[in-house]
Amino acid sequence: MSRVRHAKFVLWALLGLAASVAVARFLLGLGVSTHLSDANPWGLWVGFDVMAGVALAAGGFIVTATVYIFRLERFHDVVRSAVLTAFLGYIAVAISLLFDLGLPWNIWHMTVFWNPHSPLFEVGWCVMLYLTVLALEFFPVPAEDFPRLAGVRSRLLKFRLPLVILGIGLSTLHQSSLGSLFLIMPYRLHPLWYSPILPILFLISAIALGLAMIIFESHVTAYLYRRKPEREVLASLGRACAWVLLLYVAIRFGDLLVRHRLGAVGGPGWRTALFWIELALMALIPIVLLSIARVRNSRAGQWIAASLVVFGVVLNRIDVGGVAHLRPDGTFYLPSWTEIAISVGIVSAAILAFLFMIERFKVWEQRPADTEQDPTKLPEFDPVGNTWLGVPDVAARTVYSMAFIVAAAFGFGFLHVRAAEYRGVEPSPVHRARGGDILWIDGNLDGMGVAFHHAEHEKREGGKQSCIKCHHMNYPHDEGTACARCHSDEYLPSDAFRHDWHASPPGAHIACYQCHAQGQMRTAASAVSCDKCHKNMVANGSSIKIKTYQAVSYTEAMHRLCIGCHIQKAKEKNKPEMTRCAWCHKDNPEILNARDLMLSRYGLNRASVVLPPENLAAGDGR
Amino acid sequence: MKTAILTDTTKCIGCQECVKACKQQNHLPGDLPRRWMLSDGLSARNWTSIVDGPNRSFVRKQCRHCLEPACASACPVGALHKTAIGAVVYDNTKCMGCRYCMMACPYGIPRYDWAYAVPYIRKCILCYDRLLAGRQPACTEACPTKATIFGDRDDLLAEAHRRIREKPELYINHVWGENEVGGSSVLYISNVDLSFLAGGESLGATPLPSTTAKAMDAVPFAFCSVMGLMAGITWIVDRRMNKKEDEPDE
Repeated sequence: MSRVRHAKFVLWALLGLAASVAVARFLLGLGVSTHLSDANPWGLWVGFDVMAGVALAAGGFIVTATVYIFRLERFHDVVRSAVLTAFLGYIAVAISLLFDLGLPWNIWHMTVFWNPHSPLFEVGWCVMLYLTVLALEFFPVPAEDFPRLAGVRSRLLKFRLPLVILGIGLSTLHQSSLGSLFLIMPYRLHPLWYSPILPILFLISAIALGLAMIIFESHVTAYLYRRKPEREVLASLGRACAWVLLLYVAIRFGDLLVRHRLGAVGGPGWRTALFWIELALMALIPIVLLSIARVRNSRAGQWIAASLVVFGVVLNRIDVGGVAHLRPDGTFYLPSWTEIAISVGIVSAAILAFLFMIERFKVWEQRPADTEQDPTKLPEFDPVGNTWLGVPDVAARTVYSMAFIVAAAFGFGFLHVRAAEYRGVEPSPVHRARGGDILWIDGNLDGMGVAFHHAEHEKREGGKQSCIKCHHMNYPHDEGTACARCHSDEYLPSDAFRHDWHASPPGAHIACYQCHAQGQMRTAASAVSCDKCHKNMVANGSSIKIKTYQAVSYTEAMHRLCIGCHIQKAKEKNKPEMTRCAWCHKDNPEILNARDLMLSRYGLNRASVVLPPENLAAGDGR
Repeated sequence: MKTAILTDTTKCIGCQECVKACKQQNHLPGDLPRRWMLSDGLSARNWTSIVDGPNRSFVRKQCRHCLEPACASACPVGALHKTAIGAVVYDNTKCMGCRYCMMACPYGIPRYDWAYAVPYIRKCILCYDRLLAGRQPACTEACPTKATIFGDRDDLLAEAHRRIREKPELYINHVWGENEVGGSSVLYISNVDLSFLAGGESLGATPLPSTTAKAMDAVPFAFCSVMGLMAGITWIVDRRMNKKEDEPDE
């Protein structure tokens, strides 16, 4: 097979893989199909597909400016392919966005709901408009082949200059605004990358990348179709690229100097190393290579320098988009294979579309043709062996279809395992209660704590099987459960008893141990009866005795220790407000029934029980 | 009235009544630990949490409801906005899922429905419907020790400074949320350094929306000047080319 068909075979396979992942992405959601997380909400699809993609397509506006504004006609040969690259690049960006957005069917919302303060809003609008401009700029090329479109084509060509100027304006805006996106994250983006002039740095590096991309693309297509690259034209583009890169380096270091961050370039850490690698690849090495005339004019020199710039600027965009972010929680983002598959698949689709366009339409002066035609040789019959010898070379498209389908099948195969793995739940470490069976819990470290008998709780709740009753009921890495999950009734106010008033009455500072014996576990068993403190509540010589019953829970205390006397007294004194059961029992029908039962024992009914005032219950109560 | 919440971490006993109340109020189901969640306990199903602070303290984490919220400024479709009463609320019918708000928030508060094919942004909305009904948020109502209280922002600021004045040996002399990134509606006083809530950074007083505002204000000017410049160059180059063609020797 020829080089082109080898390349197309691989590209179709990559596209097939991406197709299978795309199904998983839209059916299962972003959590299962990516490595994105709450700490890293943006990943490869933003850093590479959108940010680097837009920058890679910068060649379009640079070449149209060179040819139609500055009238440097010797670059005319590359203008059509540069516009085509930009057009397909922006379509690829738009498709990537559909993958990255959580609600891609709402992408049109930007046209209706406006927030002009948002850089992303501006980027979105510019990309939409520029995509339209690029479509109109490129339309005359395929329209050449359709005589019926000749009228539209000639009318459109009259507007070429305004379109080109509009395209340059829009490109300037959104190439820089992609940098503005990160201005709002001064505490997230590393200081070596964060700068108030990030938009300017983005614009300049996009111009350099646009120039390098034209060189890169010319060499790749020249290799594939075995033609000669326009070496002299490319050399002058390379020289321009070197100057732009020099400007970029000067501004970047000048900015660090002005912001007093220049010391950070020698600092420790892998991010400093990343900064130098990025800068060397995208600017320092290419500047040296492109400033040497012999290297600049040689095929290998152009090829290497352009590749370095392309790789370096893409790295820069990925760094700003996520890698160079500060994450104090220690999480790290590495794209999953599925994310890479989608990114690569979209690029493959763009390249396949590009190859189709240059073969089908007059993008270049001469349409490239696959030199080795499809062999349609039939298998030969061997009369001696009475069999058919040799397999016919399969037509190219059959091979491509096979590559696509087999790759998609492989993708589905891998995905099955992956989806099952990530639908599950992360295992949490299991260990015995630290500090033995009894844990000393003192939330606000004021010396008043609770001795929590872990072993007792475990036994009572059903042994080893009962762990999940208290542990990870709610959230990830949740090791313990708050006491109040179960003991919430301790804070329920009633007329008879308010735990919070007893725990911290104004000025009194009653510590837990004053009611719950000190040095022992603070359970109901160690609690004292009410009359230890409330001696004066009972009149001298009264026949009423406060029971010294020790309740095992707050509910028990209410129902057995207190409420009986209160209800009795309420009846005797005809003061129904002494038994405001409804303070606690407002809603739950089961409790209401229990209350009715309780009341009926004392010959009372609901009507004789006073309900708490609504505002008191809501505002003051808890 | 600009409402606010003041959380005094020295009073918090870590009982998580606020977490429970929040879940009940907002009908948030239980959650399982998933790959994309963080260890701070906040998730799409948990809008407030108690995190272990330094020196064995408990710190309640929730949306800070900034006075000039970065998330609302970043949202390209205006799905998030600061209401007059103080809450920063979210309109899921506008959202397109770009997650720029999550990137922009200096406190890392907004969380995402990663598990779902139709995901939304989730965060504390200061019980906006309760505020409109004249009630306080569920969390402050539930707190048994009054460690987190609700009220007018100015009153709570005065209260915070009063507490610090009364017990200068207990508190760090700083009200978190008074000035950070332009101030927020959720305030903290504490005996431990709470800058870990913002990723260990001590945030400046500049509101974050102003950082992009400078760039966005320059947009119309940049657009017009680039277009004008290009048109000018075209005109000059055209004239020179035409002159050249007119010369008989050429």
